[in-house]
Amino acid sequence: MGLINNIKSYSERLNLSSEKQEEFNSFLSGGFPTIKDEDWKYTSLKKLVAKEYAINQKGSSVSKEQITEHSLGFSDKIIFVDGVLISKTEISNVSISDYSDFKSCGTDAISKLNASLTTSGFTITVDKNSIIEKPIEILFFNTVENNFTQYRNTISVGESSEVKFIEKIQNVGCNSSFTNHFTQISCGKNTNVEYNKIQNNTSDSKLIDTMDVYQKQDSTCNINTLIFGGSFTRNNLNFEQNGTNCESNMNGVSILTDSQFADNHTFVDHRSAQCRSNEMYKGVYMDKSKGVFNGKIMVRQDSQKIDAFQSNNNLLLSEDATIDSKPQLEIYADDVKCSHGCTIGQLDEDALFYMRSRGIGITEAKAVLTYAFASEAINNISVEKVSLLAKKLLSKKLNVDLDFSV
Amino acid sequence: MSEKSKKSEDELLEEVTSSEYKYGFTTDIESDTIPKGLSEDVVRIISAKKNEPEWMLDYRLNAYKAWLELEEPDWANVSYEKPNYQDVIYYSAPKQKPVLESLDDLDPEMKKTFDKLGISLEEQKRMANVAVDIVMDSVSVATSFKETLKEKGIIFCSISDAIQDYPELVKKYLGTVVPVRDNFFSALNAAVFSDGSFCYIPKGVKCPMELSTYFRINEAGTGQFERTLLIADEGSQVSYLEGCTAPMRDENQLHAAVVELIAMDGADIKYSTVQNWYPGNAEGVGGVFNFVTKRGICHTNAKISWTQVETGSAVTWKYPSCILKGNNSIGEFFSVAVTNNHQQADTGTKMIHLGENTKSTIIAKGISAGKSNGNYRGLVKISKGATNSRNFSQCDSLLMGDKCGSHTFPYIEVKNSSSKVEHEATTSKIGEDQIFYCNQRGIGTEAAIALIVNGYCKDVLNQLPMEFAVEAQKLLEISLEGSVG
Amino acid sequence: MLTIKELKAGVEDNQILKGINLEVKAGEVHAIMGPNGSGKSTLSAVIAGNESYEVEGGSIEFDGTDLLDLNPEERAHNGLFLSFQYPVEIPGISVSNFIKTSINEKRKAQGLDPMPVKDLLKMMKDKMELLDIKKGYLSRSMNEGFSGGEKKRNEIFQMAMLEPKLSILDETDSGLDIDALRIVAKGVNKLKSDDNATIVITHYQRLLDYIVPDFVHVLYSGRIVKSGGKELALELDEKGYDTIIKEADIKWA
Repeated sequence: MGLINNIKSYSERLNLSSEKQEEFNSFLSGGFPTIKDEDWKYTSLKKLVAKEYAINQKGSSVSKEQITEHSLGFSDKIIFVDGVLISKTEISNVSISDYSDFKSCGTDAISKLNASLTTSGFTITVDKNSIIEKPIEILFFNTVENNFTQYRNTISVGESSEVKFIEKIQNVGCNSSFTNHFTQISCGKNTNVEYNKIQNNTSDSKLIDTMDVYQKQDSTCNINTLIFGGSFTRNNLNFEQNGTNCESNMNGVSILTDSQFADNHTFVDHRSAQCRSNEMYKGVYMDKSKGVFNGKIMVRQDSQKIDAFQSNNNLLLSEDATIDSKPQLEIYADDVKCSHGCTIGQLDEDALFYMRSRGIGITEAKAVLTYAFASEAINNISVEKVSLLAKKLLSKKLNVDLDFSV
Repeated sequence: MSEKSKKSEDELLEEVTSSEYKYGFTTDIESDTIPKGLSEDVVRIISAKKNEPEWMLDYRLNAYKAWLELEEPDWANVSYEKPNYQDVIYYSAPKQKPVLESLDDLDPEMKKTFDKLGISLEEQKRMANVAVDIVMDSVSVATSFKETLKEKGIIFCSISDAIQDYPELVKKYLGTVVPVRDNFFSALNAAVFSDGSFCYIPKGVKCPMELSTYFRINEAGTGQFERTLLIADEGSQVSYLEGCTAPMRDENQLHAAVVELIAMDGADIKYSTVQNWYPGNAEGVGGVFNFVTKRGICHTNAKISWTQVETGSAVTWKYPSCILKGNNSIGEFFSVAVTNNHQQADTGTKMIHLGENTKSTIIAKGISAGKSNGNYRGLVKISKGATNSRNFSQCDSLLMGDKCGSHTFPYIEVKNSSSKVEHEATTSKIGEDQIFYCNQRGIGTEAAIALIVNGYCKDVLNQLPMEFAVEAQKLLEISLEGSVG
Repeated sequence: MLTIKELKAGVEDNQILKGINLEVKAGEVHAIMGPNGSGKSTLSAVIAGNESYEVEGGSIEFDGTDLLDLNPEERAHNGLFLSFQYPVEIPGISVSNFIKTSINEKRKAQGLDPMPVKDLLKMMKDKMELLDIKKGYLSRSMNEGFSGGEKKRNEIFQMAMLEPKLSILDETDSGLDIDALRIVAKGVNKLKSDDNATIVITHYQRLLDYIVPDFVHVLYSGRIVKSGGKELALELDEKGYDTIIKEADIKWA
């Protein structure tokens, strides 16, 4: 049925190496994960994979206006259309090229599928001692209806360098798609790396996005995930800290309506002492939307003096919205500071009434409170254009005009 | 007690670094004791020695019978060798006329004891404006200011006296907040209590001075069974201080007190305790067992605040509580509990919300050091009728070194959906790293610990009356010396 | 100002410093670089007097005084300051209260009265401006909830307030982003004078572009195996430690 058969047929037309064929076969034998898998307990792929998809098809081109429409306006851009790298800018101390084959360590079905069949993606290397002042935008366009595409990207940042990225996956001229996206980031010693993911695709787009971050000593990595669009989104975000004084920061904002679904799975592996991690995920769920959060923190035995903070706050704005939240702390060292908190609630009735008594309409009042709720996570985003976009998208979804031009 | 604030910095420093339990000494005054053990006869002897009326003896006998049926509690997270109740002396009074007109009539030996304790009653009489009621081994020795208070209609005397002079008041209120059968120790106390304080503030009266009592256990093997009853009538206000010390002994000594507070409509009671019973030596031998039932009941618009600094006793089992019966009543609990060496503490509070719009605040700070174990056990109960009630609880633990432990057991029972309950708990640690960091900034180890501990406890210390706060601060420092590294 | 002779120190059975020789004069900036595990942090801890380490031999003379004779507070009162690689959190003590105590303990040791509050506040305000620190910072608990960069800035703020004779900066730059690094360096440079000295322990060359050293030493396996001027740092950045390590291994096999 559906997707697996589509993929199988597609694979038969490829010339896979024996290694990759073996890996693909391993994927086929197990198939896509089901709700019987612990990691997919609240997230069912059944309906999605039952449908029929085109696999990696090439479609039409994307116009300059369309690119401008979907970009944030930074001058350094890397653009993919239907799996093909069609343009990139020249940035000193940064080398940008097409897909390169590399190994990853995921052993689950999604990873195997991506590792075995993908031939699209970017390879970015930042030289050591380079401060890249301007954020780099990476845009992945899809123009084919019901296209299933995979990307496999890798970024390597040299010692003492700083760089920021903004990524967006976008359907143009079509509504539905399914993307299996994988990015690996290697942060060298003393680096500062930021990656912003804007997940605001069309109403029937599905996304499974996996990101593996490897950090060396003294590095700081910030990953911000904004989920506003798409019908199905599943993010797997994994950090591995190998070296002292690492810092891993994650901010997530999900604003869902209709029947949207968003699942954020995070994992931080503290393998060295004196490191920190901070997680703040905020979700707002309206109509019949559904959210899942699973945050795992592992502190290995000799990883002393770890400071790990995790917070997941959820606002349910309708009776039919639901959220499943699960923190997991696995701590094997004894001199650590780990805290986690989860809240699930509604808007404060007293605050609403207060605002209405001052003449603010109910829709606006709700929007203001909802914005206030999400603002802490949004304010943690350092690239101003990204946080501004988040605020704009939030206003739009709440049907109000919160003026953020100040 | 305020005299301590006059000591020079040098003396303070010396006391902080000395390791002798400062109050460990004994008085050689002849004591009038009865043989060990508890039986109906002993209860009768106690009542007879105090010349009590029939109704009081009956009360005691009923309590004794109840005690025989109750079982000693086992559920606290502490482990200790249970005291042998037959191996305890239940009455010990120094041979002295219990109430004095003037302090000059005091036995010189006794006076020496008071001076060692650092109390000079003459000084206090005028400057601190504190009325002191000293309980020396179960009998009130001196009650000053009685006359001044009498002018306002305030009754502040020993409970033994109150039983004689104000029997209607005692009969009306005794056992109404902590009934005889409430628990094992309250029954024991009701049977053999020897003395304690009684206080009555009339309607609308604001007590002009802080009332205080100072305890001491003297004889080896004497249990202390204090009974305090404090009634604040409608619209009145009172602040009460309680501080205890004990001499150095090798056997564990039992302290099972009961304190009942009644705040009538619109009344305000502030009850502060600085407790410094002998904690046992560094090896965990000896020390006082402190099992106390303290409870207050608030009527409409009334308020009760419990503030305590606990640094002593070998084993502590203590949960000052508030029953917020009346609408709009307020209950507060501010506590710093220190455990060091081998001490064990299972303390906390209970806030029972019965009335509407009731509010309670709990700030409990535990400091554990050495090999000690500190537990906080708190109950916040919001009953069905307690509409729109609010509670805020904050329990913090500070661990000094890495061989001590601290556990928090919050129980939150909410049966009313309009209520708001907030609970926060944090744990922090002071280790060699923090101390070395302070050292490198020129701050010596003792000063560093004092700085850290006082910063940690300041929310609670701010609630204490001034002279108590100074003593409390010093007490914290003494009890934690040598606790890190 | 500081003379270290044949300093040997370690922890339990493990000798980490195997004979350090170093001379720092007033007005100088010395940089100490070296691979992980070479003993950089041990050196700063031993100079500061951390009792977890045992001094097995050698001497440290600071301004004519035998430093090994003094406990950590005394060394601080004599004008020694260590900016910790991992500054410690002290909950419940505000930054302002901590610094006030620190300053007044030093004054007490010198027989002086505590600093008047007015002067203290003015001094804090000036130094905060220097380090681009916001107003609300003073009332926060020491290092509690501070980011990595904020912790390091807090160290330099304390240094600015205590005005030490000799400052040891232990990996102050590790993990700082470029903006934070610039501010920290600016602060350190402003405090430099002909009467004080600075030892900068660093893993990364970039800091030395901002805090320019007079001397650079390479610490490897508990010994200073090479010394030179600031060009040595650039050489290390380009070529790494390999050659130096090989030579050292042969010499001290």
